Amino acid sequence: MSESWNFILNEMLHGSLNTVFNLLKVLIPLMVIIQLLIVYNVLEKISTRLEFLGKPMGITKNAMFPLLVGVFMGVTYGAGTLIELNKQKPLGKRDFLLIGIFMVLCHGIIEAAFLFGVAGASVVIVVVVRLLIAFVITCICARLPYFRRMDN
Amino acid sequence: MRKFLTAVKDGIIKGLKTVLMLLKILIPIYLLVVLIKYSPVMPWLQDVAAPVMKIFRLPPEAAVPVVTGLFSDEYGVVAALGGFNFSMAAITTIAMIALAAHSLPVEAAVAQKIGLPAGVMVLLRVGTAVITGILVGWLGGVFL
Repeated sequence: MSESWNFILNEMLHGSLNTVFNLLKVLIPLMVIIQLLIVYNVLEKISTRLEFLGKPMGITKNAMFPLLVGVFMGVTYGAGTLIELNKQKPLGKRDFLLIGIFMVLCHGIIEAAFLFGVAGASVVIVVVVRLLIAFVITCICARLPYFRRMDN
Repeated sequence: MRKFLTAVKDGIIKGLKTVLMLLKILIPIYLLVVLIKYSPVMPWLQDVAAPVMKIFRLPPEAAVPVVTGLFSDEYGVVAALGGFNFSMAAITTIAMIALAAHSLPVEAAVAQKIGLPAGVMVLLRVGTAVITGILVGWLGGVFL
């Protein structure tokens, strides 16, 4: 050990308390925001306005809502919405895979912004660069013959 | 207004519950990271990781949160970050790598279950992690 045990235990105690405090700072605002988004159907309303973004990604307008839920609120909520929507009006396989790709690369941006913002990262980069990369990769995938041949 | 207040209250309760749940995993991760940091393993780990971390313009000890993230989740990464003193640029790069590639074993299993091939998913995520890591490492070096 490169430091005395006294020093190490002291750091452990302080760091643990800090972890608790940081988690409270992240999770309480996050859960309040998610709850508000659900109660006021915010994402459902926004999804119709963002249809134009779905086009270059090969995503139809029906798939936009579950994608937004996953991207903003997290994979668990996104998957839940996807399953609910599929019961009423099944999504095509291509939609399904393409929003899957986007969601795998970029999900829960509110959570990520809070979490890494509190940890000391640049929130702008964490949010914007991630969205852009997921957008570009999904656009590229949508143009691959594998996806083009797939029926919707 | 009542709808608003109920939503806020429900959110706070959910937040507190999640904090309690996460602490059971995060405190052990944090304690382990501090132990590793001061153990004789650390200098060896730094030697091994240095050339790889250099690609992302990261200090060698950044390997600890990055590797933690591959197997645990984003919260594990933040717990591991807490063990070191990184610059804002380094934390941003680590965050971007970890956000693209985290909890690989669990999420690959989930992907497989809903019909996305696990191997492809892991490749896509690790590939994206490397690309974003290099890109943001460079961006951070320029702007932060």
